[in-house]
Amino acid sequence: MTTTRRTFLRLVSAGAAAAFAGLPSFDAMAAATAGSNEGEFFVFVIALGGWDVTLWADPRNEARGIIHPASTENTDTAPLKRWVDAPLGDTGLKTFELVRPRGSSLVFGPGIGDLADMVDRITVVNGLEMNTVAHPDGQVFSTTGRHPQGGRVAASSIDTMISNELGREQLFPTVSVRFPSSYVGDDLDRRVVPLAVDDVGSISRTLARAQMYDSDAERDRVTAMLSEEARDLAKRATYPDVLEGLALQYDGLRKMLGSNLQEVFSAGGLRKAHPEFDYKARFAGGPAVNAAFAVEAMKRNVVRCVSFAIGGFDTHANNYRGQAQLQQETFDLVASLVRTLDATAHPTRRGAKLSDHAHILVVSDFCRTPQINLGMGRDHYPNNSALIVSPRFKANFVYGRTDADQLLPQPVRKFVDGERAIAPPDLLATFLGAFGIDPRKYMRDGEVVPELLRA
Amino acid sequence: MTGRRSQEGGKAGRGIGCIPSRLPAFLFILILSGCASRPPARVPAVPGPPLALRGVQAEDSAPKQDLRLVPPEVYMRTYLQLFGGLAPLEAQRRARGKDGSALFDRWDDYVSALGFPDYRLDIPRQTQTNALMVATFERLGVALCDRAVEHDLGATRGGRPPPMDQRVIFAFDLPRGAVDQNAFAERFDVLHRTFLGYPAPLAPPERTARFYALYRDIVAGHRKADPRSRFTPEQAGWAAVCYGLVRHPEFHLY
Amino acid sequence: MIRGSSVFVSALSPRSSVRRRIAPLFALLAAVLLAPLLALDADSAPPPRAARTVDDYRHFRTAAIDLLGRMPTRQEIAAFERPDFDFDAWIDAHTTGPAYVERLTRIYMDVLRLEPNLNFTNATSQLYRHEVLGPDGKSLWIYYRENQRRERPETDGEFCLSPDETGVVIRARQPDEGTPRRVTKKLLDEYTVLVEPWWLYRDYRAPKPQQLFGTDAWKDPDPEYEPVEGLLADPDGKRVTAVRVCREEAQTRDVGHVYASGRVKAPPKDAKLPGGRVRPPPLDRPYATQHQGQEVACDTKTALDYAPDCGCGVGLDRCIPGDSNSGGNAFYFPNHVPLGSAYPLDDARQPQQRWFPYWWSREAVRFLDDLFAEDRDFREILTGKQTFVNGPLAQFYRTIQRGHCCGPEASFGMLEESAPLFDPRNVPADLEPQDVSTWKAVPDRGPHAAGILTMPMFLEKYASARARGAALYNDFLCKSFIAHDQQLTPSTEPNLMVRPGCKTCHATLEPLAAYFARVEPANFVFLPQERFPVRSTRCRLDAKGRLRGACNALYDAAFSDAKGATLRSAYGSPEHADETPVGAARDIVAAPEFAQCAVQRVTSSFLGRPTTPDDEALLTSLTSTFVRSGYRMRALVRAVMRSDAYRKSNDDASDGGTGGRP
Repeated sequence: MTTTRRTFLRLVSAGAAAAFAGLPSFDAMAAATAGSNEGEFFVFVIALGGWDVTLWADPRNEARGIIHPASTENTDTAPLKRWVDAPLGDTGLKTFELVRPRGSSLVFGPGIGDLADMVDRITVVNGLEMNTVAHPDGQVFSTTGRHPQGGRVAASSIDTMISNELGREQLFPTVSVRFPSSYVGDDLDRRVVPLAVDDVGSISRTLARAQMYDSDAERDRVTAMLSEEARDLAKRATYPDVLEGLALQYDGLRKMLGSNLQEVFSAGGLRKAHPEFDYKARFAGGPAVNAAFAVEAMKRNVVRCVSFAIGGFDTHANNYRGQAQLQQETFDLVASLVRTLDATAHPTRRGAKLSDHAHILVVSDFCRTPQINLGMGRDHYPNNSALIVSPRFKANFVYGRTDADQLLPQPVRKFVDGERAIAPPDLLATFLGAFGIDPRKYMRDGEVVPELLRA
Repeated sequence: MTGRRSQEGGKAGRGIGCIPSRLPAFLFILILSGCASRPPARVPAVPGPPLALRGVQAEDSAPKQDLRLVPPEVYMRTYLQLFGGLAPLEAQRRARGKDGSALFDRWDDYVSALGFPDYRLDIPRQTQTNALMVATFERLGVALCDRAVEHDLGATRGGRPPPMDQRVIFAFDLPRGAVDQNAFAERFDVLHRTFLGYPAPLAPPERTARFYALYRDIVAGHRKADPRSRFTPEQAGWAAVCYGLVRHPEFHLY
Repeated sequence: MIRGSSVFVSALSPRSSVRRRIAPLFALLAAVLLAPLLALDADSAPPPRAARTVDDYRHFRTAAIDLLGRMPTRQEIAAFERPDFDFDAWIDAHTTGPAYVERLTRIYMDVLRLEPNLNFTNATSQLYRHEVLGPDGKSLWIYYRENQRRERPETDGEFCLSPDETGVVIRARQPDEGTPRRVTKKLLDEYTVLVEPWWLYRDYRAPKPQQLFGTDAWKDPDPEYEPVEGLLADPDGKRVTAVRVCREEAQTRDVGHVYASGRVKAPPKDAKLPGGRVRPPPLDRPYATQHQGQEVACDTKTALDYAPDCGCGVGLDRCIPGDSNSGGNAFYFPNHVPLGSAYPLDDARQPQQRWFPYWWSREAVRFLDDLFAEDRDFREILTGKQTFVNGPLAQFYRTIQRGHCCGPEASFGMLEESAPLFDPRNVPADLEPQDVSTWKAVPDRGPHAAGILTMPMFLEKYASARARGAALYNDFLCKSFIAHDQQLTPSTEPNLMVRPGCKTCHATLEPLAAYFARVEPANFVFLPQERFPVRSTRCRLDAKGRLRGACNALYDAAFSDAKGATLRSAYGSPEHADETPVGAARDIVAAPEFAQCAVQRVTSSFLGRPTTPDDEALLTSLTSTFVRSGYRMRALVRAVMRSDAYRKSNDDASDGGTGGRP
């Protein structure tokens, strides 16, 4: 984002006022960023199952405390381009050399893949305090900032929050491919209910229409009538939200069908249009098509958020051998996505690249134990890391930490509730804050961490 | 639905409001009486006059929840029943017919868009509509109605419909000539009961008229707009009415 | 409808006091005048309809959605419109039947999610298939097991033909190394054999099986039993009538013998290995040397590890095929069965590793279905001993599941499961692996069975003791583990029940997990008390503070000392560990929250919303009804559907109280 002097001064004065008050002034920030939020796009990725952060963001290659580093004993190293053998004490085994990108003080594990070459674009958050080691809980906590209540998701997910603020007018505000998207709350626009699918190809089939019996115009006539019906029923209803929402969705359908977007959702077409993604990757080959879809959909300005999952991280047993490769493929995919966004023009901002206005957040349920278990894998652990690629976040930057012996989150700053580690609600609140959105509108917990943001 | 409850507190309230200034003196006397060790005075019960209605205050007894989405299992069972009580794979075959995936793909393609949970991946069921779900409802609804018109209204039998007891959706004969409002309403009632579960005359008053307008518009425009269509204008009109009901908010919500 | 009635309605508008007085007279007059007309037309008139309101129709539709699993048909609506329609009787009549059962099963499947996203790989039962060049240069397939013991050092623990003999290093799931060469007939005859396997022959146990799949000889084939094409044809596409199998795998005996090769020392690193193999033949483990010649059951892991005279049994029925060297595909079955397995949405070619997980899921659903169909005591969801099995499950419980045992357990004297969760003797004898649609009840799985808690689907879905304990807490007591704002400080305290930051949840979770200490994680092997006491004096920490070998696999060094060791997951409550899942079931169903939770889940589902404090009176009443009925769901559902809250659920009308009357 190019910051004008006026915008900069507004932000500074807003920040000063906020600092004086002890809290971010969202009205001021919102006013300052409102215009600059037009045409922003978002990609949310979840590494399903819980990733081993010692292999990428919070690398550990020494046996210390309860930490058993990854080694040639428990990891298939042949496919890893960043794995360089290093002695693991006097065990005779080999662990990895830390990956130290040139021109950066950051260090990574070999799972970082191609993102090591893009360290000037990425922000890493370590030491996220999870307070859970259950998959459904961790996934929901990471994506909504609240733990489930009695099994129910208690808050909307980050993609829904963003779409509600910035994506209501898009044809597909949120497309969610196996991501734990949720829509919870009374004050949300029903147009932004996530379009949840198993794969993007099925969207194409759902939008296909035959012409053998009726015409597009005839079907559209029916949809228009139904929209009227829904609105009339809403007027009669005590609680009109669902019916009004349906009316909006009928209207949305009319636009969708009128936009002739089949090729955007055709998996074959996407692969052809974007050969730069590795569709044959062992683990991330399938999700690669979602990245291609994200690019095409952003290019046509029909989405605001694309959310998808990459599975296979829950390596309790011998399957841990593939964890590093899975991470490498995941971050290679992110790197490919960033490069493609660099090379793609923004659909509405003349002269801008998509990457100037695209924001990627990669999270996971939690991380894995620093110890190797009896099955040669790692179990669940209540710590976590996250990755952000966003022009609004400080790049070449790591925030948060864990202790040396047990990989537990450490206090990192003084929050309103005291000195503590950063937690997923804070990360999500900061993400919202980066766009001038008051997190309290959607989130009960979490504070904006200004240190993560560019001035 | 709101209820009414009379506000009964007025008279009593005024009564209560009168007593306080005399209360301390009264109590003082009572206490003195007690201290004197005499048995407490008994106040004989006297039936009071009936309370007069002083006003009405509406109480909101409306349920505090909105309509909910019909579960995808229910939607699918209903769909299959409307298709003639077929099993899913048989319904899929009939819907596809000889047209490949023109009208219908495969159930696999629709499962997640319809909101089914995926227990394997711990993906919960969807409880709200979204635009893609609405698109899927249209796709499936069009397939159902087109095949129903073919079957029930004889579109594939040279205009000869099957016996009435074999028709699930269009369980009526078409009148000869143009369909006037009354003829439409009678037949619309059959469809309204089939899809929405209650008689059309109990629906909001503009509904029948609205659907009749839809029918007329489709019939009028069909031959001009779509000369290659397999449907006659009248069949297309009834198909459109069917689309409108199988995609109606009252079909998908309850 | 009589057109004039609208006139009567307006005349009878409550706004008119005059109208109020004359209304009854008008009604009487109308009745007197019109009755003869109605009588004349009685024969041809439709049955009289009761004056139903929109609210009535909505209520009936909701009830149909809940109990019929679909919207009502026109005929059902017509029956509802009859004045003699008895809604209560209708509810009673329809709290039965497959749709009602599915309705309730759905509630618990949404909570438990008992479908597998996992592969069941069991080296003892998994057959791979690899191509070799036959004597005539044509390809042929040979089935084999990974790690099969063989007496030839060239092939012990590997494929039955050496790399020198085939030209290729053949290993399961690995790319080949080398160039194929023709295998002589002599070698084929010596080291392989043709078998009529169970997946091709209905009568595979017969001395000369005849009933080949896909021919008229197989009478009444189960239409749902469908092997993939790859299992039915040779590499040249010809129909298969027998499969070629490594000779050791083709052995049919039930009992084999521990084998010691005499190899106790690894060869030098540069030594030439026999037969061109790339890794040395397996060395004798101490167990083999100490128990050489001892009998071992052939369907156990112990046999795979130690007995070259053990194979896959008659017709290979202790093993499951795949059509490749990477596991491969085996059978067609659906991915999606939301309406039940009788109504699949698809039919897909599936990998062999998904075969049993699919049937585990169906077993769990059938168990739940039966619970609701027979209106059993709902507590049996945790305490019930019964289950249902079909052919694949019979095969699994009879023999395949035994292949999980025994590894480290053997060091404790357990060579095969001595106390399985499902006693194979209770498996119906008359179910063949191809009987996929034939289900039979098993009244009693065995003394350690506890409802769904000891079913493979539950134990695999919730693979660790803590996950199993948490499932009990969440799903059956409706409680959550939430640790708000707990700071985790580094600590060496192994006891999570006292460790700062952890104890909030683990003080409750560890004792729940302890109930599952005797069921191995990601497994269903049961560790009986007599061989695996909670506190073992046989396992002790050594001078370096470690547990050695098999002790470390089953006992927890963190809760051990120089005198003894504690069974893994048992430290939270040794008593619970010995009570096993049976004790968990007993204790959970005895908790008052159990009934409250069941009532809350069902009520919430039928009302279509979470229950709130305003529902307390309703829930209390329903809980009392539920418990008094003997924990029967039918009584609960009937009470819910007769409640005012149900009638008013989602009644969104704002029509001034007219209820939609004309």
